[in-house]
Amino acid sequence: MSRIRLTQEGVVLLLAVVMCVVFSVALPNFLTTGNIVALVRSVSILGILGLGMGLVVIARGIDLTMIATMVVSVSWVLSLTTNAGMGLFPALLLGLALVVVIGLVNGILIAYATIPAIFTTLAMGLVVYGIGRGWLFQVDVQNTPEGSALFEFLGRATIFGVPMLIVAFLALAGVVWAALRWTRFGRFVYAMGDNPAASRIAGLPVRPMIVAQHVITGLIAFVAGLIMAATSSGMSTRVFNSTMIYDVLLVVVLGGIGLSGGRGGVRNILVGTLLVGVLLNGMTIMDVPYIEQNLIKAIILLCAIIVDSIINPRDEQTAQQEQGDI
Amino acid sequence: MTILLELKKATKDFRGVPAIKDVDFTLEYGEIHAILGENGAGKSTLTKILAGVYQLSAGELLFDGKPALLASPADALRQGIAMVFQETNLVPAMTVAQNIYLGDEKLFNRLRGLYIQAQRFLLSLNFYVDPMALVSSLGAGKKQMVEIARAVHHKARLMIFDEPTATLTPEEKFHFFNLIRRLKRDGISIIFISHALEEALELSDRITVLRDGKVAASDLTSNFDRDRIIQAMVGRSLSGELYGAEAKNRVPRGYGEKVLSIQNLSMGTVVRNTSFSVFAGQITGLFGLVGSGRTETMKIVSGVLKRDFFHGGTIRFYEKQVRYRTPRPAVIDGIVYVTEDRKVEGFFETMSISENIQLGTLAIGVNPFSVVSLAEARQLAKQWTDRLAIKAIDPDAKVIELSGGNQQKVVIAKSAVQKPKMIIFDEPTRGVDVGSIVEIHRFINELANTGIAVIVISSYLPEILALSDRILVARQGRIVEEMDSRTATEQRIMYAAVH
Repeated sequence: MSRIRLTQEGVVLLLAVVMCVVFSVALPNFLTTGNIVALVRSVSILGILGLGMGLVVIARGIDLTMIATMVVSVSWVLSLTTNAGMGLFPALLLGLALVVVIGLVNGILIAYATIPAIFTTLAMGLVVYGIGRGWLFQVDVQNTPEGSALFEFLGRATIFGVPMLIVAFLALAGVVWAALRWTRFGRFVYAMGDNPAASRIAGLPVRPMIVAQHVITGLIAFVAGLIMAATSSGMSTRVFNSTMIYDVLLVVVLGGIGLSGGRGGVRNILVGTLLVGVLLNGMTIMDVPYIEQNLIKAIILLCAIIVDSIINPRDEQTAQQEQGDI
Repeated sequence: MTILLELKKATKDFRGVPAIKDVDFTLEYGEIHAILGENGAGKSTLTKILAGVYQLSAGELLFDGKPALLASPADALRQGIAMVFQETNLVPAMTVAQNIYLGDEKLFNRLRGLYIQAQRFLLSLNFYVDPMALVSSLGAGKKQMVEIARAVHHKARLMIFDEPTATLTPEEKFHFFNLIRRLKRDGISIIFISHALEEALELSDRITVLRDGKVAASDLTSNFDRDRIIQAMVGRSLSGELYGAEAKNRVPRGYGEKVLSIQNLSMGTVVRNTSFSVFAGQITGLFGLVGSGRTETMKIVSGVLKRDFFHGGTIRFYEKQVRYRTPRPAVIDGIVYVTEDRKVEGFFETMSISENIQLGTLAIGVNPFSVVSLAEARQLAKQWTDRLAIKAIDPDAKVIELSGGNQQKVVIAKSAVQKPKMIIFDEPTRGVDVGSIVEIHRFINELANTGIAVIVISSYLPEILALSDRILVARQGRIVEEMDSRTATEQRIMYAAVH
């Protein structure tokens, strides 16, 4: 089994490299500095969101609220600072509190009311967006406050020539990697994805863990939103209506994190991010119309899910048959 | 031509490991053929090949004298081979009649017509089952009847049973035997797998014994006796050696502190007003047939069962009244439950032996951010593979790749590292090879010697008698009798357990 998954990861990486080469040769604009920056920017946001999504998917959950959380929390923060004249710091605290509340509601509904994660988070996404659009801010696009040090730093600063945005993505990837690999929390995530019933009987705090995971995805979405606002000097609520959540899922599934849980890690997210980023960027340069782009992405996502369900079947019974009980 | 089915040099391997190898097997018309063997001998694989679940890697399968390809269980059924699995394949929410004709419905499916048809059909088989009853309301014996009726309806000429009597009460067993004989009179051939040698000797015409994926013996039943079968199964005669000897020469341990005391515990119709106590430093054997509520009672105690139907009663653990709603607080307080179904709720299949065992210690910790020590994992793995004699070629091997016995040992180790004060073993040796049974029993005795309260749930009487210092018998959701292990016999226990 591990051999197959390794090659899956390898195939994705190879595919990304091949596409890079093809695009560089075929598209004169692909290898320009401006384009690489654009590519990396779009990819980093997706990658950061993918880190959060990957975490819940490994634990056999899913969080479709992430984009709504990102859009609404950051738009609210921006609206509070620019329109209501609040200081940036208290506004950030309020945004943080909102994100935590969203995560708690998601987690409690899934863990304690035992509503399937996919429906809970789908509906919560709509609720969060509705509340945000209805009460928290009035206009579609919120601009970052003029001359704010934080957004200036996130958007323009570089460390050894590397934009802050990529540094943030890599740093966050490092944190998630370490948490998954070295901490008790990480072990619990894998255990829950592998076998929820066994986790429960072994005495793992299964329900608090689910709540914690959704709070963490909320926090990650908040960070991703702040960076997004910094790099494009604002946050548009249209992001919520875009296909971004599917791009995030594409990153996770294409990278090789099985939807059946318990498998994969940060490496898979990095590989998935790279491939999706190159793909989206190449299509944009080739001037593939938006609708066709979405169709292509959708087909790739579908194929990735099909391949995933063949390699990592969710049904324990079929998994055993593969193994052949003697 | 009297041969219905023939296997020639049949081989099936999984990833290069043969489960059965060069098996020759013949089955005559109207024959009852028992397949016996230890766990892992290849019985299930052989029957699953005949039922179309697996396809042969090499060799030939002749059905009715013609080479046959059984692509799937549905395909096998079309050709006249039906398999009744250990776990029934019925849809619980449908009625008996709907289940019999499942997959055969007409476009306009009139229920009334279906019931009349089913009634006639069931009566023609002498089955007294209400066609309008929901399958979920039937007992194990009746469910089996419905499965058989379904097979007959599909005009099966060969029926395969995997452990058909495991879940039946003695009375149901008697009816089942008559039924099998009646099917034989109608010209249907029967293959059944069993662990109960007496049943095979009583019921079958011919016996095939498998050992390590090969045919160890195949002969008319009249030429077999118990000793010869056991000899063929294990390659040596150990009749009575496994359980008998240790049970006879043993002095039961005394009573330690009272650890658990249960009063008037009730839950739905499964656990009914039961009361009993458990003491430290001894092994309490809990015996009961299927439906006796023995597992459910223990799952309530350890918080494993989601108690939707809790109907009251008190549980005291070390004099403190407790009511666990999830296993976590129970585990932290020192009550550990070792499941009977290790695949579904026992081990973590993507993880290695050391990761599995370490999760036991991680689970009882509090700080989620504490760093996991790989050195500790290695040391735990080494300590427990030695102590329980877990055999793995590679210490980093995934648990799913181990044999049933070794998997069970990993699950036991994972629970033992949680420093339990009371440990509950539910069918600790189900699906475990003979060698591992001895080692698991030795370990259970060791635990009791260190002063832990040990509960062993088992439906296998020799195991209960060999291990227990004190025996509790459950019947219809209640502990009905307590016995001293010195005076208990299989007959006395069984007498208390049946109703």
